[in-house]
Amino acid sequence: MATMAHPDARRPNLPSADVQLPGVRDYEQVDNEITATLRPTGGWFLGLGVAVLCMLIGAAAWTYQIYWGLGQAGYAPPVMWGVYIITFVFWVGIGHAGTLISAILYLFRAGFRTTIYRCAEAMTVFAVMTAGLFPIIHIGRPWKFFWLIPYPNWRLIWPQFKSPLVWDVFAISTYLTVSTTFLYIGLIPDLAVLRDRETNPVRKRILAFLSLGWRNSEREWRHFARAYLFLAAFSTPLVLSVHSVVSLDFASGIVPGWHATIFPPYFVAGAIFSGIAMVFTIIIPLRKWWRLEHYVTLNHLDAAAKMCLFTSGVAGLAYLTEFFIAWYSGNPYEQQYFWNRVFGQWWWSAWILLICNMVLPLSLFSQRLRRNPTWLWILSLFINLGMWYERFVIVVPSLSHEFEPWQWTHYMPSWVDMAFLLGSFGWFFMWFLLFAKQLPLMALAEIKEIIPPKMHAFGGVGHHLAAEARPAAAKGGHH
Amino acid sequence: MSTDTKSAGVKRRDFLKVLGAAGAAGTAVGCSSQQVEKLIPYLVSPDNTVAGVSNYYATTCRECASACGVIAEVRDGRAIKLEGNPEHPLNRGALCAKGQSALQGLYNPDRFRGPMVRQGNALVPTTWETALQQLGQRLRGAGAGAVFVNQAESGSFPAFLDQWLAAFGAPPHLAYDADAPLATMEANRQSFGVAWPSIDFTAARLVVSIGADFLDHWGPVVPQQLSWADARGKLQDAPRLVYIGARRSLTGLNADEWIAVRPGSELAVANALRDAVGGNSGGIAQAAQAAGVDPAQLTRLATELAAARPAVVLAGTSGADATEVALAANAISQATGAVGTILRTGEAVTGFDRTASHADLRALVQRMAAGAVPVLLVRGANPAFTSPPALGFAQAMARVPFKVSFSSYPDETTDLCDLVLPDHHALESWGDAQPLAGTVAYQQPTMSPVFNTRQTADVLIAVAQGDAQARGGFAQPTFREWLAARNGGPTAFAGLLQTGVASGTVLTAPAPARAAAPPPSVPVQQQGQGDFFLVVYPSPLLGTGAGANKPWLQELADPVTKIAWQSWVEIHPLTARRLGIAAGDHVTVTTGGAGTRAITAPAYPYLGVQPDTVAVALGRGHTSYGRYARGIGVNPLVALTGAEDPRSGALALTARAQVTRAGGSSDLVTTEGSARQHGRGIAQAVTAAELGAPAVGVQGEGATSATTTPPQGLESGSGQLADPGRGGEPQTTQAGEHAGTGRESQGAGGAGAAGAAAAAGAHGGGHDIPGMASHEFTQGLRSPVAAEAQGLYADSASKDKGLYDPNHWSGMANRRWAMTIDLARCTGCSACVVACYAENNIPTVGAPWQGRATSPVTWDERPGANILKGREMTWIRLERYFEGGEDGGSDFETRFVPMLCQHCGNAPCEPVCPVYATYHSPDGLNVQVYNRCVGTRYCSNNCPYKVRYFNWFGFGEPARRQYAFPEPLNWQLNPDVTVRGKGVMEKCTFCVQRIREAENRARLEGREVRGDEFTTACAQACPSRAITFGDAADATWSVAQLAVDRRAYHVFEELNTYTAVVYLKKVNHPPAAAPARA
Repeated sequence: MATMAHPDARRPNLPSADVQLPGVRDYEQVDNEITATLRPTGGWFLGLGVAVLCMLIGAAAWTYQIYWGLGQAGYAPPVMWGVYIITFVFWVGIGHAGTLISAILYLFRAGFRTTIYRCAEAMTVFAVMTAGLFPIIHIGRPWKFFWLIPYPNWRLIWPQFKSPLVWDVFAISTYLTVSTTFLYIGLIPDLAVLRDRETNPVRKRILAFLSLGWRNSEREWRHFARAYLFLAAFSTPLVLSVHSVVSLDFASGIVPGWHATIFPPYFVAGAIFSGIAMVFTIIIPLRKWWRLEHYVTLNHLDAAAKMCLFTSGVAGLAYLTEFFIAWYSGNPYEQQYFWNRVFGQWWWSAWILLICNMVLPLSLFSQRLRRNPTWLWILSLFINLGMWYERFVIVVPSLSHEFEPWQWTHYMPSWVDMAFLLGSFGWFFMWFLLFAKQLPLMALAEIKEIIPPKMHAFGGVGHHLAAEARPAAAKGGHH
Repeated sequence: MSTDTKSAGVKRRDFLKVLGAAGAAGTAVGCSSQQVEKLIPYLVSPDNTVAGVSNYYATTCRECASACGVIAEVRDGRAIKLEGNPEHPLNRGALCAKGQSALQGLYNPDRFRGPMVRQGNALVPTTWETALQQLGQRLRGAGAGAVFVNQAESGSFPAFLDQWLAAFGAPPHLAYDADAPLATMEANRQSFGVAWPSIDFTAARLVVSIGADFLDHWGPVVPQQLSWADARGKLQDAPRLVYIGARRSLTGLNADEWIAVRPGSELAVANALRDAVGGNSGGIAQAAQAAGVDPAQLTRLATELAAARPAVVLAGTSGADATEVALAANAISQATGAVGTILRTGEAVTGFDRTASHADLRALVQRMAAGAVPVLLVRGANPAFTSPPALGFAQAMARVPFKVSFSSYPDETTDLCDLVLPDHHALESWGDAQPLAGTVAYQQPTMSPVFNTRQTADVLIAVAQGDAQARGGFAQPTFREWLAARNGGPTAFAGLLQTGVASGTVLTAPAPARAAAPPPSVPVQQQGQGDFFLVVYPSPLLGTGAGANKPWLQELADPVTKIAWQSWVEIHPLTARRLGIAAGDHVTVTTGGAGTRAITAPAYPYLGVQPDTVAVALGRGHTSYGRYARGIGVNPLVALTGAEDPRSGALALTARAQVTRAGGSSDLVTTEGSARQHGRGIAQAVTAAELGAPAVGVQGEGATSATTTPPQGLESGSGQLADPGRGGEPQTTQAGEHAGTGRESQGAGGAGAAGAAAAAGAHGGGHDIPGMASHEFTQGLRSPVAAEAQGLYADSASKDKGLYDPNHWSGMANRRWAMTIDLARCTGCSACVVACYAENNIPTVGAPWQGRATSPVTWDERPGANILKGREMTWIRLERYFEGGEDGGSDFETRFVPMLCQHCGNAPCEPVCPVYATYHSPDGLNVQVYNRCVGTRYCSNNCPYKVRYFNWFGFGEPARRQYAFPEPLNWQLNPDVTVRGKGVMEKCTFCVQRIREAENRARLEGREVRGDEFTTACAQACPSRAITFGDAADATWSVAQLAVDRRAYHVFEELNTYTAVVYLKKVNHPPAAAPARA
């Protein structure tokens, strides 16, 4: 980290497209070092065990809740939504950074995405898988959840297409499908590398099947690049649409604190913000454990931290705008609600939110802190907490302080709620850890693009060739 | 199956078809979330029983001594609903919460299944033969020493009982009623010669209540409430109510003014007022000082009393000088012309006439303690609980060799008895009652007995017939035949039972002789010691404890404090702050008297209690009495010494006390969120002056203009909604305009009214009455749906109207079901809530075992744990908002708002449901389809009125610990209404089952539904007649006229929800020259 002698240390504020990997020499090193991460270790087994245990706690809590009824959660009417919806929105938000980093930054040719995008994409898929559970967990009769899906039936009953919850079903399932496809397409060259290095015949066959017979031909690369570009373009609007739709769960309600047109952009910014924080939470320990600091360099972290700072600013502006609009609208319900949010019964949650999401990220204006992985990691935990509380502040205080003063109330999650929160992390990390040992969390092919290829036939000129090529802009051009 | 005649066997294809079909059917059945139940039809139907069709039986309510008439709806042999008997002169169709809950006494799961006998420490089942034999033997040996304590009731049974006792040589029975207002009755006897004159509030101009809680528990509550609501319904000419007392009861909260006097000073105040009305106002200053009130307030009241004709002063204090106070009050009433006008002595209520006093009970305890009572028989009373332990009833009972209880339930007295001969419930019994002088109400079984019980009268006959000496007096084998013989034979008796009430007399027993005590020569001293006064009062719902075993009454929030399933100590907020007591902190109250104990309960800071006073309700603190009562709350009687009012023998319920903070605190099980409206105009009010009454003492431009301008509602007249020509323009109602209608006239007096008038004028007309609803409110009823229903937007060319097409084949779109709730009439009594529970199978959720898991192994077993989480299921709830009194003063106003599903024309809940579980019906109902609901609860989030309720647990599933209807409580369930499973949303349906039943009935009879043909359960029960339901699109319904009343408003009109529930503003009658709060 800071002790590493780094050529960029003197000139760290690079344009993000220029992020290079000076510590990586050649393709063999890439293949060797990255595939080395696929070897299970004791720590991995421990981590997977903990994750599975947490997941099982959540599963047990769900069984318990289905048996007894939703009353086992902490709901205190009229707070009819609680930890489940909060956690749902939290995970959907986490899922956003992945597609942003892999798709939007790809389109924008942001070079710092190269080493972190696979990790972010895997995170996206698993986060959306996690989030997708919660709408089912949270409903009173989860065994009837398929009634939200439009399917032909003899009763000729369709879902209520005016309901944002139905939009959610479409948004989430679309997002999960597209982000999984995108992850898979990007994996194909890497799968081929793994196939080639695999000695176990069974695994080799599976990998051969999954890599779709990749032969590394120029034609394949051309098609691959086109497909990847197309999917990146296809995913980009989804990044904006999914969380916009999720935000409409709230914005289309008439509840004070929900009914605001600012919600879609506000939610998207918050989602990207939280997703980047989650990338930090995951990638910073990984690069250390796997000793891959020369792949995910301080320059990468620095660039991502700037994006974090920017999205924090957007989210913060949205928070302040809400207060302004509450005052400016002259709507007494909104005004009383926002006063209650910050200075009333829920002051602590609102201040957790404001401090974690608005105040602490301001530290990223300091270059030293942006390049300090330890601080970034600690900050990312605060941001994760703050973003969970952002959704808490939206869901709970609004419902507890609505139009009818007689029905104002308090809310306290129960142990079942907390078991689900724990279980959701267990579920997420279980998949993530399993993924990490099957498939490379750093994109072999894309990393190879930005390092000088070994061109023995041409002597020492290879380095010059590589330096001339804009790696991300000419994907596949050197193979 | 196979049509192949050649093949004798089953073809493979057919076999597979059958296999597939059977497998699918088996899977479908097996996958059902419901247990498969069998329906077995009658082969031979019992007489008068048609499956699915109700029978109705007129009978008499026995939940208190008033003896109101009820009609029991009986379906398939089970009573499922009690409603007031419209023919009955006392309750005229209304029924209070207690009366409706009689069903839960009938089906109480803790009822004795049959006779029980004591073996060692336990009561074990026995047979009736053995039990009767034992009773007969013991009685023969007892002779003159046997004592029968019976519940105080009117009718022939008390006299019959005395005859029976006489046959065994025993003295007349003791008619015990811990709830009876003995002091008032004693004073009334002395002043008017009758114990309880009928009270006609409609004749009054001013009503002063000195602790007379005529809406809570003081006397026959239902007729008093009916009369009171009728009086207040007169609006401008309505009587003003001034409440004098240390605690603002439900009656006090309905008062326009509260004079918060110290306990014990009522006599001084009453005497001073009496003298002042007589012309000598010299005593007022001294009385005011004793009472701790402003002398000017009393002076003004005295002036008002002298001026208002007729005015009445009612007194129902509970101190040791209660009779004196009542006598003084009667003297004032006589002077102010109340007798004969308001107090109708000629139509005396006789239900309480024969009640024995606490002094009589004390005499009995002395005899029992002395060993002079060999046999004690108790029926329908629980003196071991309802008398102060200091009296020693339970200890004295231990000296009685043989104790017999006729109680249906295990209660504190029965637990001490040797033999239990469980009586039929009143709804299984024969009998009669005398609610008013010259009127007989009949009581008949509504169904065959639930358990192996016997009516006590029949038991008495059987015992007498088994006795050689007593046999002669009892010719008829059963009480029914005895009654029939008294009432002109079986045929005539059957005729009388049809209406349930007739003029006539019952067999009466002589009232117990009571020596008239001389007035005490020295002022009666308060019992106990301390800086505070303890005021103990009967709960309006639980009485002195009889209601505590009924989950409806436990669950129903107290009308005043809104606390359920819990006891509490009311303490003034300023006093609480001074003592460092916060809401829920445990408070210990001690009186220090001999034999008393401290009571400890959580504190409820309540503005309506005098600062030196703490108040505790009776009714809870049972150590027995079944699963719903045992161990819940405290019984404040333990703190009382048993001091009496010497004139009437009534138990004194006030004492001096010490109040200290005990360690610990509990959450208050309250349904109250914020008791303030925060300016949101949910409960709106106007003053009588603003309504256009002759301005008395209120001067100002606004008041003047109010009197001269014709009211908008009257101008536009009724039938407005049905007039298609009027509303051609779309709604122009703007949120900004309407946010103001309820709040703008908050200023003081005429100036505020004038300001409101000016503000209203600026809105562009229609607001010509200050504080009045705009004319646009009526457009709320003309919701998009209703508008189309009325053809306002009907475009004959358009085919895109769907179900809302006014010409739709169903004809439903012609109707708009709607409701008006008149806040000028509503007293907050909560009878509507119980009616809704009964009609709509609403589960109670507060029993200790219905809590939730706080960990995988431990449960939240606090009573009301679910209510602490806000999970009560009351489809209609009584919100109680306070106005004023922010400084802790006594000048605050209470507004009750029954809040239920508003059946919005533009309902926020409907578009957000992803599965169409809630949608709008063409006739204006916001419909909830339980079977379709998956439980996203989004509808509730989006409901501004918060009137949707979720089934958090399997309250309707017998296998669950949260099951709300343990056998046989489930017998009460209304078969017309689904019992909801867990995980679905439910809410008020406007009693859609009644709507559809009426429509079907009309269709069968080939006619249209007639105006006011039927109504909802809440409206039917309401003893204030505040709720009116009907078709707002049809002028023949009352609701169509009321909905365009000039007091009408919608709650949160600015949200454009177009609600079908129209509230009519409360009408306040502030004291002359006092600021109006509207």
